[in-house]
This record gives sequence, structure tokens and C-alpha cells, in this order.
Amino acid sequence: MRQILGSTRGRTAVLIVAIVALIVLVLLLGYRKNFGPEHYAQLAIDGIRGGSIYALIALGFVVIHSVTGIINFAQGEFVMLGAMLCVTVYHAELAALSPLSPPLKMLLAVLLAVAGTTLIGALLERFAIYPARNRRAPVVALIIITIGATIAIRAIALIIWGTRPYFVPAFTTLEMEDLTLRLGTLIIKAQSFWIWGVVAVVLVALALFFERTIMGKALRACAINRRAAQLMGINPSRMSLLAFALAAALGAVGGMVLAPATRPTYDMGLMLGLKGFVAAIMGGLLSYPGAVVGGLVLGVVENVGAGVTSAGYKDIIVFVILVLILLFRPRGFIGGGEQAVEEA
Amino acid sequence: MNSRTFVFVSLVLILGLALVLSGCQVPTPPPEPAAEPEAEQAAEPEVQMGAAYKIGFAPGVTGGGAFLGEPERNVAEIIAAQLEGSGGIVGPDGVKHEVEVLIGDTETNPDVAVSVARRYIDEDEVVAVVAGSVTPISLAIAEVAEEAEVPYISMASSLAIVTDPDTGEMRPWVFKVAQSNGDVAVWQVERATALGSTSVCYLYENTGYGKDCFNNSSAALEAAGFETAYEDSFERTDTEFPQVTGVQAAGCDVVVVGAIPPGASLATIALRDAMPDIPIIHGHGVCTEDFITTAGNAADGMEMPCSPVIIAQDVPDDHPQKDVFMAFSQAYTEYTGQPVSTFGGHGWDSLGWVIGALETLPDGLTLAEQRAAVRDYIETNIKDWPGTAGVFNITPDDHYGLTEESFTWFKVEEGSFVPFPGEEW
Repeated sequence: MRQILGSTRGRTAVLIVAIVALIVLVLLLGYRKNFGPEHYAQLAIDGIRGGSIYALIALGFVVIHSVTGIINFAQGEFVMLGAMLCVTVYHAELAALSPLSPPLKMLLAVLLAVAGTTLIGALLERFAIYPARNRRAPVVALIIITIGATIAIRAIALIIWGTRPYFVPAFTTLEMEDLTLRLGTLIIKAQSFWIWGVVAVVLVALALFFERTIMGKALRACAINRRAAQLMGINPSRMSLLAFALAAALGAVGGMVLAPATRPTYDMGLMLGLKGFVAAIMGGLLSYPGAVVGGLVLGVVENVGAGVTSAGYKDIIVFVILVLILLFRPRGFIGGGEQAVEEA
Repeated sequence: MNSRTFVFVSLVLILGLALVLSGCQVPTPPPEPAAEPEAEQAAEPEVQMGAAYKIGFAPGVTGGGAFLGEPERNVAEIIAAQLEGSGGIVGPDGVKHEVEVLIGDTETNPDVAVSVARRYIDEDEVVAVVAGSVTPISLAIAEVAEEAEVPYISMASSLAIVTDPDTGEMRPWVFKVAQSNGDVAVWQVERATALGSTSVCYLYENTGYGKDCFNNSSAALEAAGFETAYEDSFERTDTEFPQVTGVQAAGCDVVVVGAIPPGASLATIALRDAMPDIPIIHGHGVCTEDFITTAGNAADGMEMPCSPVIIAQDVPDDHPQKDVFMAFSQAYTEYTGQPVSTFGGHGWDSLGWVIGALETLPDGLTLAEQRAAVRDYIETNIKDWPGTAGVFNITPDDHYGLTEESFTWFKVEEGSFVPFPGEEW
């Protein structure tokens, strides 16, 4: 037994067996509830929607971690801020905005939400991380600072917005009612297409950024080896600022495209951030494709699992997955990179 | 510009943004007290003033119960303003007493609720506690009130609040004003029978209220011969409902939902998206405009039992509660500018009981005697008492006082609540 668990190949084999067993279990439970293929398909489609958001959040984690080594627990709050700022700007009753038509208002709300959250991310880095790093704080201290940041941001959000959920109209209709598309027996809301579309655009943009621009290449250089990058003239502290701003932008994009579907609340960031973290772990915290695949897989597993058992198990499923990954394959499933999660 | 200037400018921008944001909040109009001091103070300069009475009022203004707690707090403010305007109440011996309504917030958190109740009882020396918009909070406060021997009126729905868990009898010091889920279930059985259904799917929120709804509804429906095809809970904050897939697969012919808005509305939307024709019936937690506003078009066709206070003007004049409905809805809409809230009505009824009791207290009683007298008054004198929730009949064996007759069956049609009497089913 120890021999099997000792080797990586052994552990991978155990994992594969476990996954197959889980799939059989899911099918059994679904059979008890009369689930046919169309039900699984519906659960999977809904899961991919949530999973796309997890993927965006996971990308944010990977950006910051690969460049600075920090696990930014405030990532979920960036999503919340993106959603809430979008809500506030859209509903703002300022005289300057009234001549604008609803679609323009929505566009403005979206742009301001992303811009505002990016600014907040940058300020977080400058005011909380940068001074600490200058005093040679270890990475653990910086991680704890981000935990403090998430609590603070949530508290400020509570003061500004209160506890009630807010509403943003769906992008397609600009009304509360969203268009519902029926493909066979599947029901997909139009907002889901917006979410998938936005995520796809973000991924392409990110890939182009890392491949084609100097800033992107500098970020990648920092991720590969910070010391060497510094020797080549790349300023690591500026890269850190860029990483935080980029992660905040990613989170905000996720938040604003999710807002019409979710009734944003001040504390929505907590669970989203944690689940995005699990998705990032699936990619070893260092691989971008890994984070995206991790997010999608997590969304589907969570939703199908909750569908065949009971909705209350949603969060348990996610965190059991987290524990299993950290125990058996901390490097993540996809990608990898030179550093393992333990070294964080 | 150099980095210091950048930092300074960004800080100013952020602060400016924060100020602007806190100014333009998404509109919930903060209620401005529509001041109406009653013109006549007691004319005789000789009126004797006794000790002031204090009532401890604590709904769940923030937290998960905010939808219920905010209207209740509004009502407390209305009544507090009325009491201030009239200078208080006059006892049977002609002695006037100021009545102060202390307004707190349980934050829909049992620990906070217990500490608020204790503070009211021990430090503020209230003569009665009216608190708890939701069941788990009320259960917590009930224990405190029993032990301290202070009359406590809950605004939540479960009968477990007034029942001693060990003996099954009424807790002597605890009363409640909100309709029970058991009475809701009676109506749901009748409606499901009229629909000709045979199997039921249950969807309820994962809170004390939702579970109590499910327990009562499923017990009543199963006893009447309906099969439970599927049941599952959802979190109050959920926006995705994989349970709907389960409901679809189960093949039931009616869905019973036990939740309050916004969860109830979102679940309704999800159910309607998947199954446009299946009948869906709710409990009395959705008897509020918020349900319809949040659910939009999906709300049409929803059915639920409510107190007719929501259509106060259309109630016939000979209805025993007509006067209460009109007085309450006028005061409420004037103060808040919003449509009447059935939950606010619980505040109206409960404070009405306490003030009625205080008006019978002679001067010179000790605090313990006052508390006992209020308790006795509520237990013996609330008979055929028209309130917003129903006509109450409190007895030593029934600290709830309502039956299913306090409800009228409603349907949502084109965005408003319309009575849907049994003859039309």
C-alpha cells in the first residue's frame, strides 16, 4: 500500500480508480431519482456556467501567485466589487447619466466596474503588499495580509451596500427577465452565452497579452524566475502591481458578467473566492490552461453532484475535492511549472 | 508623474468614489417620520405622571431576516412616534405613563438576539419583549424570556416557539402573533385536492422557517394521501437551482415551495423556466410585493395563503378586521411610502397587545408585578381581538390564537395579489 501511495504513478492510478468509482456512484444516485441523459446534460450545462466564473477567478489566483508567490485570498472580493460597482453605476440616479439609453448605461456600468475594481486591486497592492514586502516580510505574511484585505473589503461593502441582494438586468434584454433558449430539452438562459463569450474573449486576450506584449512577457519572465527577471532589468515590484491589477480586472469581469444572473450581495465573494481557489489548485496554481479547465470541471462536478444528492452538499463536494487534491496531487492535474504548491 | 503623485491622486479618486457611492445607494427610501404629534396634550395640568414603561422591540433588521425585520422596525417607529405624540397611556387610575419603545436589531443571529434580549430585560428593565422575525431567533429568545419571567411575543411562524419541548404544553411567558405553517398546510391540502394532484414535490429554504414549512406541509399532505415524489432544500442566497432538474425528473404534478423572497422568487423563476405549466403553491412567507417584483413575470399564477391585509381597501366593510386593515395600511404607507407589508403587521399586532395590557395596569406595581400582569392580560383578555394577521383568541392552552380561517387564498395575476376563493378553483 505504502509503495503505491509512495510513487506518483501509484497515486495517479489510485486517483483514476477513485474517479471511476465516483462516476459510478453518481450514476447510481441519479438512477434513484429517475435521471435520464437530458437531466445530466442540464446539470452539466448549468455547471459549466458557474465553472466559467470559477475559471476567471482561478486565472486571477494564478496571475498573482506565479508572479509574486502570494495566494491572494481577496480574489473573491474583486468579483464582488465588479458586480456591486456595476449595480451601483447602472442604478445611479445622476443627472449626467439620464440622457443615456439603457444599453449605453449598461456599457458604462460595466466599464466603470472593471476600471474601478482594477484601481482598487492596484491600491491594495501598493498600500498593503508593497510596504510589507519592502520590509522583507515573508510570503506567508503577505498572504495573511490578503486575508485581512478580504475581511476589510467585505466590511466596507457591508457599510456601503447593506445586506440586501441587488439586481442588474440581463444583458440581452436589459430587463429582469432574461431570454431563455431551449435546445431540445435543455434550457439555457441568454446570460450564460454572455458569460461563455466573455470568458472566451478574456482567454484569447490574456494569451495575446502574454505572447505579444512586452508587459505580458515580463510577467511571464517574473513567473519563471524572479531573480533572473530582475537581472534582466524587469522591476519585480512593478510586476507585482501589474499582477494585482490584472487579477482584479479578471475578477471584476467575472463579477460584472455574473451580476445579472446572481443578485449580487456584499458577501458573495467569500464562497466564490474559495471555489476559484480550488479550481486554481487543480492547475497547480501555476498553469493558466489548468486553471480554466479546473474551473470548468469544478463547476460541472459541483452541480452534478448537488443534483444527484441534495443541494446542501454543493460546498462539501468542492472542499472534499480540495482536500483530495492537496493530499494526492498537490501539483495539480494539468500543467505544473517549476514550483509546487508546497513551496508557496 | 512619479509614483507618489500617482498614489495621492488615486487615493483622492477612491475616496471621492466612496463618498459618491455611499451617497447614491440603490434606492431603498429611508423612511422619514411623517411627524403627526397629536394636538391635544392632556388638558388638566394636574395629570399625574407615573413611571415610564419600556417595551423591548427587536426584529431582524439586518441579516437573513431583513425582508421581514425592516417592515417590523418601521411599524415600531410608527407606534413609537404615536406614543410620543400622545405623551403615553393613561392607566385605569388616571395616572399617565410614558411608553418608550426601544428598537434594536437581532441581526438574524441567535447569539446577538439573546444578548439584545438580556440587555432589554436586565439593564433596560423592559416590561415586555417583542422580538424575533424568524423562528430560530425566536426560539433562542423564548428560552431567555422563560427563565427571566418576562412576557415575550414572537413575530415568527413556528408553533415550536410557544411550545415547551419537554412537556408539549404552552410556555407560560411566550406568545406569538404570526400565522403558523400548520394552518398554511391545511389550505395547501385543500388546494392540491382541488387540483387533482397525486404526487407532490417540495422545495424549501434551508432555514428554520423553510424546514418548518416542509415539515408541516409534508405531514398534512401525506396524511391526506399525497405521495412525496421529491424534496430538497436550497440556501436563501442561492441563484442556481439544480434541484429543479430533480423536480423535473421526479414527475410530480404540483410543487410546494416554502421560502421567503428573494429565494422564493428565484426558485419560482427557475421552476417556471423548466416547467411552464406545473402548478406551484407557496406558504405565507411570500405575501409581500417584494416577491412579485423579484420574480417578475414568473410570479403570475403563483398561489399562496395570505392575510387579506394586503388588499385592505377591497375588504368588505363588515369584515371584522376591516378597521385594523385600513388603520394599519394607511399608517404604514404614509410612513414608508411603500405598499403594506404583512410582516410589518406582526409588529402592529404585538405592540397592540402590549399597549392594551399596559393600559390596564394600575400605578405603583413593581417591575415583576408589571411583567406578570402583562402576561396575564395577554393570556386572558385577547379574545376576538382583530389584528392584521387574523382574529386572535388566546387561551392558556393556545398562545397562538389563530386558525386557518385567518388566511384567504390568493393568486398572483398580472403583478398583483388577487383573492382566489374556493368557488373558483
